[in-house]
Amino acid sequence: MVDIPHKLPAVAPSTESALRVRLRRVRELSASVLANPTTVLGFVLIVAMISMAVFAPLITEANTPDPYQMPRDWGALNEPPGTDGFLLGTTNTGGDVFYGVVWGARTSLRLSLIVVGITVLVGVLVGSVAGFRGGKFDEILMRLVDVFLSIPELIFALAIAAVLGPSFGNIILALAVVFWVKYARIMRAQVLHVKANEYVDSARIIGDSGWNIYRRDVFPNAITPIIVQATMDMGHIVLVGATLSFIGLAEAGLAEWGVLVSEGQAGISAGRWWASTFPGLMVFLWALAFNLVGDGLRDVLDPRTETAR
Amino acid sequence: MTSVGSHPTETGRRDVVLAAREVAKHFPIKEGVLQRVAGHVKAVDGVSFEIRRGQTLGLVGESGCGKTTLGRVVAGLSEPTAGAVLFDIDSETLAAYDGGSSVGDIETAHKVDALTGDAYRRFRRNCQMVFQDSFASLNPRHLTIDIVGRPLRVHKEASGSGLTERVVELLEQVGLGRQHLYRYPHQFSGGQRQRISIARALALDPELIVLDEPTSALDVSVQAQILNLLHELQQANDLTYLFITHDLGVVRHMADHIVVMYLGTVAESGPTSAIFENQHHPYTKALLGASPDVDAAEEFTGLEGSVPDPAHPPQGCRFHTRCPVATARCGWEVDDVVRWIEDEPGAAGRLAGVKRDSAFAAELAFDDAATAAVVVDAIRSGRIHASMPEAVLKAESRDSRVDVEFGAVPDVELSVRGPGHVAACVHESLLDL
Ligand SMILES: Nc1ncnc2c1ncn2[C@@H]1O[C@H](COP(=O)(O)OP(=O)(O)OP(=O)(O)O)[C@@H](O)[C@H]1O
Ligand code: SF4
Ligand SMILES: [Mg+2]
Repeated sequence: MVDIPHKLPAVAPSTESALRVRLRRVRELSASVLANPTTVLGFVLIVAMISMAVFAPLITEANTPDPYQMPRDWGALNEPPGTDGFLLGTTNTGGDVFYGVVWGARTSLRLSLIVVGITVLVGVLVGSVAGFRGGKFDEILMRLVDVFLSIPELIFALAIAAVLGPSFGNIILALAVVFWVKYARIMRAQVLHVKANEYVDSARIIGDSGWNIYRRDVFPNAITPIIVQATMDMGHIVLVGATLSFIGLAEAGLAEWGVLVSEGQAGISAGRWWASTFPGLMVFLWALAFNLVGDGLRDVLDPRTETAR
Repeated sequence: MTSVGSHPTETGRRDVVLAAREVAKHFPIKEGVLQRVAGHVKAVDGVSFEIRRGQTLGLVGESGCGKTTLGRVVAGLSEPTAGAVLFDIDSETLAAYDGGSSVGDIETAHKVDALTGDAYRRFRRNCQMVFQDSFASLNPRHLTIDIVGRPLRVHKEASGSGLTERVVELLEQVGLGRQHLYRYPHQFSGGQRQRISIARALALDPELIVLDEPTSALDVSVQAQILNLLHELQQANDLTYLFITHDLGVVRHMADHIVVMYLGTVAESGPTSAIFENQHHPYTKALLGASPDVDAAEEFTGLEGSVPDPAHPPQGCRFHTRCPVATARCGWEVDDVVRWIEDEPGAAGRLAGVKRDSAFAAELAFDDAATAAVVVDAIRSGRIHASMPEAVLKAESRDSRVDVEFGAVPDVELSVRGPGHVAACVHESLLDL
């Protein structure tokens, strides 16, 4: 490397500003995320499914009084897909599969947003304090993490949900209790890693406060793996949630994909494939979509590839 | 001068900007699940020096000898385990401190890790540091203007367009300019990044800058540019430097005074000219890679062997394990025998146990009597080291055991070799070598 100060593309200094440079950077990053076709596919799927969740009441009329309960038509049991009024058929209790698919998206979005929101918040907070401050708090946390990690997450969530009793709210609670530990651990490791960089020492040398150093140096450089993990978990949690619903830990009759799969499975041997297949496919697509985008984000946000550009 | 506004508390312009007194930094070694402290890495183990206003002190030594650790302690980034770093103190007060009078008062006023409030802030702005790794020392998500302007923001010296202009001024001082304001660190070359680090260190108009190998990661041509820049800045801004390097050549033309460190301690220290004229420590000679006498130069052209583990530094003179002219009084000890056994094809793996009475006396147990006899012979005949037979008090085998004892040697102390020139070596006639 030869030291040539003016080799870089010259930009008119008067029009340049920090805001412009940052916006350009965001544009560049988005462009490189969207340069990957599988990421785009995942992104399109996510937008479609979230739109479905958001506009559910416009797509199919909300059931009353509780729109998250499946509407039942006892006069139309086991109708195949395409039957008049039942685009995707009905279940053996007269539930409209299409309604379940659409409102199930809403249930899934609610589940994943709440669980990821809570766990990321708690995990980042706890992991940051542990990593940045160290000391006793850190030691206690690491013991707790060891305990949590020694139990498979699905079994753990299952146990909690089973103890609390069958309800979808309890599934949300159980998943939140189980999943924050992962974020705490990632964040702690990241904070320790970032803290060892000399730019943190440089900030201490100029006399900046601990909070400013956390806010300006540590957090922004530590958070990207959390973003990637959270994206993946938006999908993963719906899968786990559906599994717990499937084995009966949600209220019966809930418009939720796992519940629907469970309801429809008895009919599969009798050739009534649709009641399980459509909601099952939705779970798969949901998990796949977030996974694809998470993967794409990881490649782009990886600081090594980032600085190489 | 580029300073904007006045310092909140003007420094007294005392002649010693910084003095280290018996500074030690030991890192605990933690082991096992319970993280028990199993020992200490003695990274810095009793170092003293002082840096006078406007001068450069070169701190030199091989990798792992504790230079960075000492630099960080000096800059207040970590607290010394023992000893004191005194900031902005005049010679008389320092002499009083060394003489043991009003130590408490002097420490309250000058000891870096005891400073509070305004005094601490004054130290913080007046002592800056530049690190070796220019990439790691700049936040990759911050623009140049954020990086160089940050000290000014933190100390509320400038904001808005005033800040931008100050940053441009600083960039121009280090050979960069306005066109570099809105760039990320990765858009610069290594040399340019180091210039940005220097600009940041200059922002608060400090008195002392700790430079931790600021050029050793750079290309040779760029190194020279940065060294020149540092030299110019020192002249222009009346700066005092603590210049850390592993390369004596780098500081030859910059340092007024040189401290040569070996394994956490000072091997030799003195005015640069004195050090380059007469090395009073074989380690300094080895670092220079040259001896005045060409015939004897053979044995000094390079350093052999590796640096011993700073958790278990050698007795007597820490350099005796590698010293080409080690004598019987240099601290021969049980470890020297054990190390030889581990490297000796005939004996390696036959050592069953070591029962130590002290570092100098132990009972060694072997798998067989033959090996024990070989070891005794090696000690007595001088096969391990030529000066060992003279140092050993007892080396006897009983079946497969060996009792070995050396005369206990205290740590080799620094002794005066000239004005301001000290060295820690017991060799009488090093100058004749
Ligand atoms: N935080 C730490 N914890 C434990 N040991 C440490 C720590 N920092 C440094 N050490 C040890 O202290 C010794 C001195 O390290 P230091 O980095 O000060 O050496 P150095 O002279 O700067 O070497 P280099 O030329 O490689 O930079 C080394 O043995 C190192 O492993
Ligand atoms: S005291 Fe001098 S001669 Fe002895 S080992 Fe140390 S450096 Fe070598
Ligand atoms: Mg170092």
